[in-house]
Amino acid sequence: MKIKQIDRDGVVVLQLDGKIMGGPDATAINDKLHELVEAGKTNIVADLAGVNWMNSSGLGILISGLTTIRNAGGDFRLAAVTDRIRSLLMITKLLTVFETFETTEEAIQSFS
Amino acid sequence: MKSKSKQEYKLRIPSQTDNLELIRGFIGKVAEKVGFNEDEVGKIELACDEACTNVIKHAYADKDTDKALDIVIKIDYQKFTVIVTDHGRGFDPKSIKMPDLNEYLAELKVGGLGIYLMRTLMDKVDYNIQPGVRNQVKMVKYFINKENADLVKSEKEV
Repeated sequence: MKIKQIDRDGVVVLQLDGKIMGGPDATAINDKLHELVEAGKTNIVADLAGVNWMNSSGLGILISGLTTIRNAGGDFRLAAVTDRIRSLLMITKLLTVFETFETTEEAIQSFS
Repeated sequence: MKSKSKQEYKLRIPSQTDNLELIRGFIGKVAEKVGFNEDEVGKIELACDEACTNVIKHAYADKDTDKALDIVIKIDYQKFTVIVTDHGRGFDPKSIKMPDLNEYLAELKVGGLGIYLMRTLMDKVDYNIQPGVRNQVKMVKYFINKENADLVKSEKEV
């Protein structure tokens, strides 16, 4: 999995690419989110357009990310979720926990 | 060709996280071959990924990467069965409970969703644990429409 950070209008977009499966992916996302919290950046959008596979460990990473950012007073929102990942979020009812948006642009605007 | 009463596919592979993609590919290709649609294939692949991840992480505790993971797919006219066998540390199947999803969501718990996914994505999940001998998890997906069953039936009759 790769992470690319884009800062826009006080919002940080994390473009995630590849498979999210725990282990090194968990460390990479966790470290990135803690770095952002320390820098006072807590309005976060995870752009999942490039994520083609996720298992329960990957879902755990997203849940953990949401807890970290909400505890810091911000929010961790999801954008451009592919059908496969949306189906997974639906089965686990996580769609009721995360705010999700069709596009990254809409997710960024949602913070204003 | 003599007609087969069942079709069986086997894979023996080292118990390593980086082999999960190969395992998913193997299971996915067979599921596709017998006529499951893309959505169903994805669900079967994910359930099996969760089962194998549990073996690598718990039965072999991420240490015995030279130990084998045996995957057998059995197909008959009504169901697609995947059996994952390991020879690692066993557990009491009764200790495995279906997670209460509402509790998970309320507390934003991390982990344990794998069992929930296996049971939700497959029609039936059974464990057969023989400590010191072998551990097996059997996952079943029934063919949901007549066309799938007919396809397997006709292949059997070739």
